[in-house]
Amino acid sequence: MSAVPPSNATVGSDDLGGRTARGWFIEGFRQAASGPMFIVAASLFGVGSLARDAGFSVGVAVASTIFIWAGPAQVIFFAAVATQTPLPAVALSVGLSSIRFLPMCVALLPLLRTRKTGILTMIAAAHFTAVTVWAESMRRLPGLPQGGRLPFYFGFGMACILGTSISTAIGYQLAAELPMPLAAGLLLLTPIYFIVTLLRGVRRTIDWLALVLGLALTPVVAQFLGSGPDLFAIGIVGGTAAYAVQKFLDLRRVGRLK
Amino acid sequence: MTFAFAGDLAPYLILLVFGFLPSEIWRVMSVFIARGLDESSEVLVWVRAVASALLAGVVAKLILTPPGALAMAPFIWRLAAMVAGVTAFYLLRRSLIAAIVCAETILIGAAWYFSA
Repeated sequence: MSAVPPSNATVGSDDLGGRTARGWFIEGFRQAASGPMFIVAASLFGVGSLARDAGFSVGVAVASTIFIWAGPAQVIFFAAVATQTPLPAVALSVGLSSIRFLPMCVALLPLLRTRKTGILTMIAAAHFTAVTVWAESMRRLPGLPQGGRLPFYFGFGMACILGTSISTAIGYQLAAELPMPLAAGLLLLTPIYFIVTLLRGVRRTIDWLALVLGLALTPVVAQFLGSGPDLFAIGIVGGTAAYAVQKFLDLRRVGRLK
Repeated sequence: MTFAFAGDLAPYLILLVFGFLPSEIWRVMSVFIARGLDESSEVLVWVRAVASALLAGVVAKLILTPPGALAMAPFIWRLAAMVAGVTAFYLLRRSLIAAIVCAETILIGAAWYFSA
């Protein structure tokens, strides 16, 4: 994307690569505002109308974007409250839908850390992780110097949350007046954007195989497991299989070189 | 006055306790799990594959069991829109915009046709 020289600093160093921390924050914000921010903002447009249907104020709708910051969890929360679901059951569904953050954050956080990074900073960083921010960060961060990654990531994440907060508020006011086909179009933004973002990150066999297996396993696994655990099973089975195939290919290549 | 204030805060409390906390707990847990892992650690290669497969699962579920208005377009058209988007991405110099425009045109067209 940007003309940033690849980092050759040692792991965990706080080399800033010739930019200030604020400079990296602004760069992250700018890169988000040049595209990804608008996609995630548009894809959560519908959350506002769901919140209104459930009887919440616009403030609560926007707060859900800032605090939950996970489209599926927000949809589940408002839809479940609207249908008078007992609150503990709502919490359980929301919790199950967000299990994905565990592998996502575990994969991402080590890229952000420097020797100086404290635990609270990491917890704050984990909060900004949602699919868009995750996929874009996994693709962009490895090319940045170690010290620039965290401020870049915070800038990127804040731009996305800010833009999405605004779209949630607009959605709250407007969604009821939106023609249905356009509302359907907004809801397709999430899957098409996710899949293309994931495809852009593909480098090796393991990457595309994990995606293909994840897609292919879903209709099968969804029949046997409820919403939430099914995704976790898809992740573990598909990811492990992709990893095993990559290992096999690596070993065979090494064997041939000998 | 005090009561009205508490009444205004109640929806926010419900959001925090039953929406924010059950979702956030996974992010916080991940910080402690990731603490011992190095960026170049082999476990991360596996974790990354698990996360990718899981996210592909999220995409597949959105198409198989779509939320709200997306269900207006029949499954075959939702699938066609996605396939067309991905094809456009590869044919048109890996352009995200091309993928979105292509997929959206097909889906909005189908939704409009089937709602008319």
